Order: sequence, then structure tokens, then C-alpha cells
Amino acid sequence: MSEKGVAHFDYSLCVACGICVQACPFGCLELTKTGIDVLRNAYPELQPDSACTGCGLCAKACPVDCIIIHP
Amino acid sequence: MKSYSGKILFVNLTTGEIKDELIPDYVYQNLLSGVGLGAYVLYNRVPAGADPLGPENILGFVSGLLTGTPSFVTGRWMVVCKSPLTGGWGDSNCGGTFSPAIKQCGYDGIFFSGISKKPVYLFVDNKGAELRPAAHIWGKDAIESEKILIAENTKKKKPAVAVIGTAAEKLSLISGICNDGGRIAARSGGGAVMGSKNLKAVVLAGTKVIGCEDPATMKEISKGFANTIRKVNIPKAVPGAALGLLGKIMGSMKKTAPMDGMLVALLMKRWGTVSNNTMGVTSGDSPLKNWKGSVKDYNYSYYKNFNADRFTRIETKKYHCYSCLIGCGGVVDIKNQSNGEFTHTHKPEYETALAFGGLVMNKDFDSVLYINEIMNRAGMDTISAGGTVAFAIECYEHGIITKEMTGGLELTWGNAPAIIALLKMMIAREGIGDLLADGTKVAVKKLGPESQQYAVHAGGQEPGMHDSRMDPFLAVHYSADPTPGRHTIGSGQYYDLLHLWEKVSWAPNPGFYSKADEFIPSEKLALKTVAISCYKELTDGVGGCLFAMVTGINHWKLFEWVNAATGWNKTPDELMEIGKNIQTLRQLFNIKQGVDPMSFKMSPRMAGEPPLQEGPNKGKTVPIEEMMRLHWKAYGWDEKTGAPTQECIENLRQKQLIVAEAV
Repeated sequence: MSEKGVAHFDYSLCVACGICVQACPFGCLELTKTGIDVLRNAYPELQPDSACTGCGLCAKACPVDCIIIHP
Repeated sequence: MKSYSGKILFVNLTTGEIKDELIPDYVYQNLLSGVGLGAYVLYNRVPAGADPLGPENILGFVSGLLTGTPSFVTGRWMVVCKSPLTGGWGDSNCGGTFSPAIKQCGYDGIFFSGISKKPVYLFVDNKGAELRPAAHIWGKDAIESEKILIAENTKKKKPAVAVIGTAAEKLSLISGICNDGGRIAARSGGGAVMGSKNLKAVVLAGTKVIGCEDPATMKEISKGFANTIRKVNIPKAVPGAALGLLGKIMGSMKKTAPMDGMLVALLMKRWGTVSNNTMGVTSGDSPLKNWKGSVKDYNYSYYKNFNADRFTRIETKKYHCYSCLIGCGGVVDIKNQSNGEFTHTHKPEYETALAFGGLVMNKDFDSVLYINEIMNRAGMDTISAGGTVAFAIECYEHGIITKEMTGGLELTWGNAPAIIALLKMMIAREGIGDLLADGTKVAVKKLGPESQQYAVHAGGQEPGMHDSRMDPFLAVHYSADPTPGRHTIGSGQYYDLLHLWEKVSWAPNPGFYSKADEFIPSEKLALKTVAISCYKELTDGVGGCLFAMVTGINHWKLFEWVNAATGWNKTPDELMEIGKNIQTLRQLFNIKQGVDPMSFKMSPRMAGEPPLQEGPNKGKTVPIEEMMRLHWKAYGWDEKTGAPTQECIENLRQKQLIVAEAV
């Protein structure tokens, strides 16, 4: 894990728009997290083998500021 | 940092030359990006009389001005070209992930001219662009080809891929361009243009950062929209069956008033566009039996089979296009419906469900799911294909198409196996399928003038599944827009939901009004049709989605987002002027290409000539020619010819949007 940490999501704010997934230059995020709501939306999450550098581009891109970088 | 790069990529497929071009800032200031940028490039560069399937035609993939910014539902990509279907301006748009990928490669658009000798695909990443051989995927369907290209080109991040299926390879004029597993920019015949260029795909693997001028303000607006969307939910206890009843009530209302556009978000979140499957039939919005039937023909025993709940029941997860917080899409399991041939498909859109349901009198739910997947894979437009199949069935009914011609198919109303077989023949251009693969207008030329009365189209393009006898605004846009037959340009319902009059000085407030008034041509009505189409062009300029747009300007705040993304300080009136610029340039493209705008007038049946004898649209006739003329006049164009006046041309010339030698 990078010193800055990795992306963490506040799913009470996240709207599953996928902007963060596209913003990540390393392909660390995918819309694979289900079970959050009854509508069966798929939310973003760090992939198990991802190489998140904690660069924060996903957090910067997020329209609702639901991503925090921390260890 | 503005939200556009001011740069396009231009590829000459004949010579193999690939070069960057800078776009002046005044182009964005006057046309935004997206379809406006496309209109600027194509108007000035496609020569008059260019063969749509020849080397002179230009095919463009453009992103939106707001795509990639912290705004919502602004991630659509657009295809622009001279349409082989109408002979005039062609555009089509699609969700998915391709739009931000264009900007992450450092461009606002990627344009192609010429024709490659062999099948190729374009690969672009942060280092540059190159054409690569595509022989190994030529002949494969769009979904399979996309999988192969992603596997071949993934390093760290999955690339975005726009790709044609086999229908476009065979130059079907009703073919489109796909991304994200079969989502398709279906209209205008853009697929055929791509196929004619031997361009199988565009693969984008850039990772550049997309900026904007004022991210804090953009996020503030977005948070407000997200908070509202989160709160609007239809209680689970409300069944899909209620939608048919709601449609019946809507269809019987004599008077109406503007509603809050969040109603649309409610329906989209819960069911997606299939929420209109039954509501559209009972309200009169859905054209039935090739536009000659009504809910009396396609009655409950038919439409109950397409209850929206049936689709959500087999939905394994929701599908959101890039940047969408509504999530009208879904992935549905179709192992049972396809006898194991396919595992899943994108949830069919209402357009598809109606085109292969009510329009052809089909009640077989499973067949529609199967058709959806084969059409997505082939990359064929379900609206035009459904319209063409309905036409063929009526021709069969009247002996113009015979059993001998169909190769033994009993082409009767609602015969699902025959419809599927016919579609496969159209995709492969086999037998009668070859005759039908280019839509109804071309088919009439081959079948003879007696088939004309059964061909339902506007300017060669089959209309969306929304009845212009219920909503005369649709009639105007089907007929008078530079891209005829398109239900997405505008409707009375959209106008009421938008609430433009609250910010645009010249947009009339409808108030509480009689629906019958919409059938009476007037200058006030024309102002409304102009306003809605201008705003739709702005939406296509920013990469916006129709369903977010119709939540209204007080929720999906296009005007405010544009200013925050660019640092401009334009008023809503000034921004609407940009919409007018885009429309005028698109119309000028048609004039330059020799199109007579009046020739786009929709088929008589669509105007209620003769009027229906039953159903919610009984007895309704739309005085379409007068409405077209008033619409053009309100644009400041010549009301008789539909051509933009010299004054309009001079206005665009002064803004340097028209290059002198291009006229």
C-alpha cells in the first residue's frame, strides 16, 4: 500500500456514476460492489489485486466527494 | 483549465495520415463541443454531393463539453456524418464509457475521412495514435470484437472501444456503432459509414486528466442534484401493472399543465425506459401495428406481457452509463430465453420492446429479449429495423411481399419466429433480408410504388416509438429537424418538464392548457418547438442524456455547469443562442448537400392521414406542413423552403463558424 493510502468510499454518498472508475489511470476500480441498495446498483470498489497509489485522481473527479484517500 | 482541450484528431484512412488539429476557442464559445463541434468540422469539410459511403464523407466521434467534469449524466459520445439514410446531416449518440475516453486521449473529437484498403482499427493512448490491422475481427459481432480488442489492448486500464458489428460491415443503412457490450449509437446510419471506410473499431486507452475551470462550483451543483435523485423512489409495493392504468389516465386527460421532471427520474430509477411499455400503449404514445392500430388491437392480452416488472425480475444488476446517477439500464439474464445461446443482454429499451412488440403485434416476451441481443451484436438499429419489419408484414398482408419471396416465412402479425428469422436475414443480407436491410425508403424503391403507403418514415429514417398523433410537437421534430424521424429532438411532454420559461426570456410558459390547442399551428407553439430543439442541441453539445435533461433545468443544471466548467459567464439566453447556431449549421449542412427540407415531411399515417378510428388518438390529424413552416420561421429560416436565410448565414460567418470556401 502507498504511504498516502488508498481510495475508500462512503457508500451513503456514492451514486454509482462510475466517474471515479474512468478517472483512475491504473484501472484499480470497478463497478462490482452490489448489495448496497434494493435496486441492485453496482458501486465502485478497489479491485483485490489493484495497484492504487493513493494519487487521489478518483477523489478529485468524484462529483459528491465520497472518496477519501487514507491508509 | 477549461473542460475542453481545443484539439481534434484527424485520420485520413486512404493515406494513413494521422494529425492533430487545433480548434479555435470561438468554436466552443459559439457551438460548445459534441454535436456542435461535429457540425463545424463537417459543414466546412464535407463537399457538396459527397457520397455518404464514399471517401469524401467524414465520420466523427465527439465527446461533450461537460464530459469528464464533476457533473452528472454528461458522458454521452456522439457520432456525426453525412447520413446515408437521409442524405443529409447525421448524428447519433450513446452512453457507455467511450466519451470520457476521447477526452482522456487529449481530444474533443476524432474524425475520419477516406477509405482504408483493408479493415483496420485506430488505437490511441497517451503516446499517440496508430492504425492497426483488423482482419482478425472483421466478420465478428460487436460484442465479441470488443472483448477481443480489450484483451489485446489492456495494460493497466481497460480501454474503451467503439466498434461495428456485421450489419455495418455489410453496409446496412440502418446500422450503428456500439460500445460497452452492445450499447449502440444507432441512428442516422453511422455504422454503414464506418463500415464503408473499412474501419472496424476505435480503441482508446488514454489516461489524461480532464479538467474544468471551477470544480468546487460544479461539485456543489452536482451534490444538489444527487441529493434530490437519492430521495426520489417509487415504493416497492407499487407494481409495474400500475403503469398501464397511469397511461390510461394520461391518455384521457383533455387538459394538462407542466409537471416536475423528477417524475421521469422516478420511473427511470425503478424500471428504466421499459416503464413506458404498457403506459405508452394505453396513453396513445406507442404507435401500434405499423401506425395503423390502437390499443383496441394491441389490447391487454398483448401488452400485459411487456409489464416493466417482468424485465426487472430478470435483472441481475443495474447498468449506469458513465457519469449517470439515475441508472436506467440493467443487465438481464437470458439463458432461458435464448436456449443457452446467450447468458445475458442489456435490458431492452422501450424503443426495442415496442418496435418488436406493439409495432409488429407481437406478444412473445422471450422473443424480444432474444431480438435485443442479436441486434446489439449485429449493431443494427432496433427502431428502424422494427419499422422495416412492420412495413414488410403489411406488404405481406397485401401480397406485395409473397411467401416465395420470404423463402417460406409466414410473415404475419406477431409471428415471433418468423420475425426473428427475417431479422437474421436482414443482418446477413440474405434473400428478402437484403431488400429490407436499408430501411423502408430503400425497400419501397425495390418493391414498387404500391408499397409506399405502408412505409412509415421521415426523410428515409423510421420514427421513434412515440406517436405524433398524440403529441404534435413530435410531428414537427420528426419532419422539420435536420435529422428527421428522431423522437429525441423534442416533444410537448419534454417542453413541459423542462421549465425553460423560468430562465429563458423568450420561452413561453404553457400554464394550464388544453391538449387540443397543440394541434392548432401558432407562433407561440413554434417558439416552444424551437426552444426545446435548441436546448436539445445544447444537451448534445455537453454530452448530456435526454433522461437527465427532462428532469428540468432546475434539477439538471446545464446552464450553470457550462459556466463553471469553462469560466464563461453566459446567460441562459446566450446559451440558447448557441443551440440555435448548432441547429442552423446542421440545417445548412442539409442545404449544402442538396436536401429539400420539405422532403423530410413524415409519412401521412404519422400525421393521422387518414385518422385512426379507435383508441386515444382517434380522429386526430396534425396539420404538419403549416407547423413545419412556423417552426422554420421561428428559427429565422425561410418558412417556405426551410433554408436558413442570408441573415442567418451572415451571422454564422461573422462568428467564423462558416469558412468562406465551404459554402
